[in-house]
Amino acid sequence: MSITNLLNNWSFYRKKRPYQGQYDLNRQYSEYKWAMALDLDICTGCNACTTACYAENNLPVVGKERFKHGHVMHWIRIERYWDEKMGEFPEQGASFLPMMCQQCEEAPCETVCPVGATSHTNDGLNSQNYHRCVGSRYCSVNCPYKVRYFNFWNYPSTAWPAPLPDQLNPDVTVRTKGIMEKCTFCVQRLNEAKSRARTEYRLVRDGEVVPACVQACPTSAITFGNIVDPKSKVAMMWKNQQVDLYKDMQEKDNSVRGYRILEDLRPFPSVMYLERVRDMEA
Amino acid sequence: MPNVHPEDFVVPGLSVFYASTCTQCGSACGVMGRVREGRVLKMEGNPESKISGGKICGLGQAAVQVQYNPDRLTQPMMKVGSSLQPVSWDKAMAMLEEKTGPKSGINGDEFAFVTGAMSGHLKVLAQNYLDSLGSKNHFVYEALSPAVGFAANKQVYGVDMPRLRFDKAKLVVSFGSDFLGTGASPVHFAAEYAKFRKAPRGTLIQIEPKMTMTGANADRWIPIIPGTEGVFALGVANQLLKHGDFSKTVSVDIVNLVGKYDPDTVSGITGVSSDLIGHLAGLLWEKSPSLVISGASVEGHVHGVQNASAIQILNRILGNVGKTVDGQAQSPFPQLAPATGSFASLKAMNDGMGAGTYKAVFIYGANPVFTTPSFMGFRDNLRKVPFKVAFVNAIDETAEECDLVLPIYTAVEDFGSHIAWYQPEGVEITMQQPLMEKLYSDTRSMGDIMLDLVKQRRADEYKNWPDFRSYLKTAVVNIKPAVKYTDTDEHFWYDTLSRGVIHVDAPQQQIAESFSTEMLDLPTTINSPDPKFPFYLIPSERHYFRDGRHANCGWLQESPDPLTTVVWDSWAEIHPKTAESMGIKEGDYLEISSQNGTLKVKAYLFPGIHPDAISIPLGQGHESLGRFAKGVGVNPFRILNPVFEKDTGELAMYGTRVSVKKTAESEIVVKDEGPVSTQMGRKLVVTLPADVAQLSKEI
Repeated sequence: MSITNLLNNWSFYRKKRPYQGQYDLNRQYSEYKWAMALDLDICTGCNACTTACYAENNLPVVGKERFKHGHVMHWIRIERYWDEKMGEFPEQGASFLPMMCQQCEEAPCETVCPVGATSHTNDGLNSQNYHRCVGSRYCSVNCPYKVRYFNFWNYPSTAWPAPLPDQLNPDVTVRTKGIMEKCTFCVQRLNEAKSRARTEYRLVRDGEVVPACVQACPTSAITFGNIVDPKSKVAMMWKNQQVDLYKDMQEKDNSVRGYRILEDLRPFPSVMYLERVRDMEA
Repeated sequence: MPNVHPEDFVVPGLSVFYASTCTQCGSACGVMGRVREGRVLKMEGNPESKISGGKICGLGQAAVQVQYNPDRLTQPMMKVGSSLQPVSWDKAMAMLEEKTGPKSGINGDEFAFVTGAMSGHLKVLAQNYLDSLGSKNHFVYEALSPAVGFAANKQVYGVDMPRLRFDKAKLVVSFGSDFLGTGASPVHFAAEYAKFRKAPRGTLIQIEPKMTMTGANADRWIPIIPGTEGVFALGVANQLLKHGDFSKTVSVDIVNLVGKYDPDTVSGITGVSSDLIGHLAGLLWEKSPSLVISGASVEGHVHGVQNASAIQILNRILGNVGKTVDGQAQSPFPQLAPATGSFASLKAMNDGMGAGTYKAVFIYGANPVFTTPSFMGFRDNLRKVPFKVAFVNAIDETAEECDLVLPIYTAVEDFGSHIAWYQPEGVEITMQQPLMEKLYSDTRSMGDIMLDLVKQRRADEYKNWPDFRSYLKTAVVNIKPAVKYTDTDEHFWYDTLSRGVIHVDAPQQQIAESFSTEMLDLPTTINSPDPKFPFYLIPSERHYFRDGRHANCGWLQESPDPLTTVVWDSWAEIHPKTAESMGIKEGDYLEISSQNGTLKVKAYLFPGIHPDAISIPLGQGHESLGRFAKGVGVNPFRILNPVFEKDTGELAMYGTRVSVKKTAESEIVVKDEGPVSTQMGRKLVVTLPADVAQLSKEI
């Protein structure tokens, strides 16, 4: 997206999102809306997803000293919480929460970027344009999920001593100092799949492409797909769980597990979580 | 960059996936390497593999960091004076020939080969080499071996390892088994666990002294005094027998024995409330079939086999045998079967070295200088051996001590075949093939080296095989009839490599009908208090570190521990109540001393641990192994006491008592967790009671 394009289509890009009909299978350039469903009952907190992300997206290993100062670059992290009502021991185990960019429709980060470096793509991703980013970090401040990571250091010159650069994924840019970065839903994989599908005059099939975290997950706790396609598994799960992309503060049955985190802030996230279940009789 | 005449399957910009086997742990998951322009970039699961099911763990992904590790050994090294100096392969092999060749005059008893767990055709070749030397000294050593569990299973079921059906169980009661993180086959069990949690949702109860990752996922986590798990199990059995008529299924011997373990006695020994014992018995009675399993924290005691057997007896009483516990497939290839290793094996070898028995020792796939307790004096004994050779990817503590260090291919550069010791369905031979050309011209395949060594004495027998690949090909093609493959040998070989696995249908092992009650005679005084060393030391196994062999991978160092979220360090887990009574805050340096040494390590206040226990994770504290591992954290292996499991001779990992002293020093604990460890009333992870959830209506 060029600046000219942005200015010429200002009313479109500044339109309040999400709006009904924004994504439509029959409309070119909006036939995709990538979304996730993440089952917290079968996530074991094993960190296979986070390691997969390091491998796929060229995340630098920052080391202990920089980690201490909060400079870690993990695009997806596993948060671990203890129950508030816990007595002497955590009798119901821990709560694990894989947290990555929620690809919000009404993304709080997008509106504050002074240079338009973070914006919405037609397939519903919250994109980060590394070339345009000037490192103001406003987006990170505004992100309620704290999933934006800033390159405080020039990692390309320090994080990969030779021959580690041989492992870098050529499909993903290595980011330099002063740049904000975040989870992209593995946009390089999505674009490849979309491009392949387009040459075959079809849409991307359900399950044809998944981000690295989804692919690795040993319990298959994460489902990914195009929510515009009502037959995709992710769309069926969202519907089944009474979670609607276009609604906030949703009312649902007590027995239904789907929810979106911090949805009362109205960012309209694209990741639905399924509640953790515990057998209270045990 | 692309050549004018491009190499096969190299299309610039396109990835090609090759099937192989992960060797990061012993599970032998089938994996796929993503290869671009001749370089392997990423490991992914191979859907053809019934073990991995197309999934992969973080440890497996780090295989590429072993490959591109900046501290990899790239050329042979020879000890000159007190330091290792580069040397050519010709010189290195000449030295091998001189010291261990036919003219060296070495006899089989003077030679020892220490390896990590091994299976498949490399194991056969190693065995053939030992045979050619007339040696029986193959010491298979794993610091964290399943030997005690195997011995218990053998007693109760007549097999080393039964097949566990999580998917069929309504209730899983796990005594210290971290099946989701470590042990037999974490990736496979994670997939089984996911099935177990789908409707109708099974319940998981975990009983252990320190919360493991599996414990963190339990519906009910019960802390227990280390070593008393068997008593607890018999207490549950005692209550269970009250629920129905077991006269036809349970022998009088057992009924009599279990009678001694009334809830109050058991509660006194285990520290678990007597109500809970009855409650658990009730649940087991109600939710049938169930599955009762035991793990490392049960096995690492003097009475480890008895402890684990007492737990397995519950499966017998509950009638789970044949339902959730049945036999694995009986492998039709006994010579390829995995040697899983033991501590006792290394101990025998160490004693031999101490007595000056060996003139030459080869070490491959193990780092005993790092993983043995200091009381063994392994390093000093190793120095007594005149000729020591290590085969490694990177110089570790053991290689530092060797006279010759030979750089071998990493797992992604080499051929191989593997059979895991836990087989979910039939027998799966997983094939390993190079995912890329060797990165360094001066490294060699372990198989090629072994073949050269065998040829020292049996040149004629092996003359048809110029390299390990051709040897493996011949051997694999021999399997063809067993899988009823009808096409040509050549097709079979390439088909096998491209699929990455060979599935062989095989009959199930029979679970023995009977068992004796002798094994259930647990000691009555398990917890003799020692005022000098009041705490139980729990050397815990981290799921991505295991015995520490992969501590030189940056991804793993920076992957937060799931429960504490600590990175790049060691820490001591202490219960907040205990910490409060001793005035300990997070980050305070503690001096943790056993009879055999002291470790200085930062405190981390952790609610998931018994108040009388202290846990330090294994795998850190390297003095070598490269920049990402060296000098990070402490090594709890060093301070373990000489306490041994009495039936198997394994080191009792949980048998060490320690004292804890707070020092005046303190330092921030580097961790991913924020300043608070609860959700502070935010709706982040919501928990739904199982009786409200309607999983059967979900998609």
